[in-house]
Amino acid sequence: MVFREKIAWLSLAAMIVAYGIYFPLAEQAAARGEATTPHLLVLLGGVLTVQALVVIVASIAMAIQSGRDANAPADERDRLIARRGAAIAYFVLMVGMVSVGCVMPFYDQGWEIINAALFALVIAEIVRYVVIVLSYRRGWHG
Amino acid sequence: MVKLPSGKVINQIRLLRFMADEMTQAELGDRIGLTRQTVAAIEAGKYSPTLEAAFRIAQVFGKPLDEVFQWEG
Repeated sequence: MVFREKIAWLSLAAMIVAYGIYFPLAEQAAARGEATTPHLLVLLGGVLTVQALVVIVASIAMAIQSGRDANAPADERDRLIARRGAAIAYFVLMVGMVSVGCVMPFYDQGWEIINAALFALVIAEIVRYVVIVLSYRRGWHG
Repeated sequence: MVKLPSGKVINQIRLLRFMADEMTQAELGDRIGLTRQTVAAIEAGKYSPTLEAAFRIAQVFGKPLDEVFQWEG
């Protein structure tokens, strides 16, 4: 498996786990009436910190294990795959942000809008990593 | 809408590597600026290289492009 594909798998898994924890916890806090902006900021900060640490430590371990592959510069296929992932994710992000913009007038809580925007961002990033992984797995034909 | 003819690019890279003293995928990749995995993907038909990379591959083996890559319709 290419080093960049391993990193994409790692980032995808870390993102799904991290936000799979954050959004239900935010929802529970909202149900209890504790969903204040400081509370959610602390929760999000904690989740992001753990996610970043896991990704950094695992990336270093993978780089050591991959040896030469980890230091190889991206070649034309890597760049094309990265570009394809970003292009599709951008479309998803735009749809998400427009959707958030459409429902924004109906919510007065700042954190609800922030969470909706964050959700759109997370979905776009997940799509990006899925496209990257699939492109490496199943091949690239332009 | 125009219906494009179906087909795919095939290549003789595995055979040419064999004939070049079993050149490894990594060696070929190093000479043309691609990773070993990309060379493997090209050989397996999972990735069609750019025209520049295709010419570089042909140059390494001292063959014309159409002896390395063919269109299979």
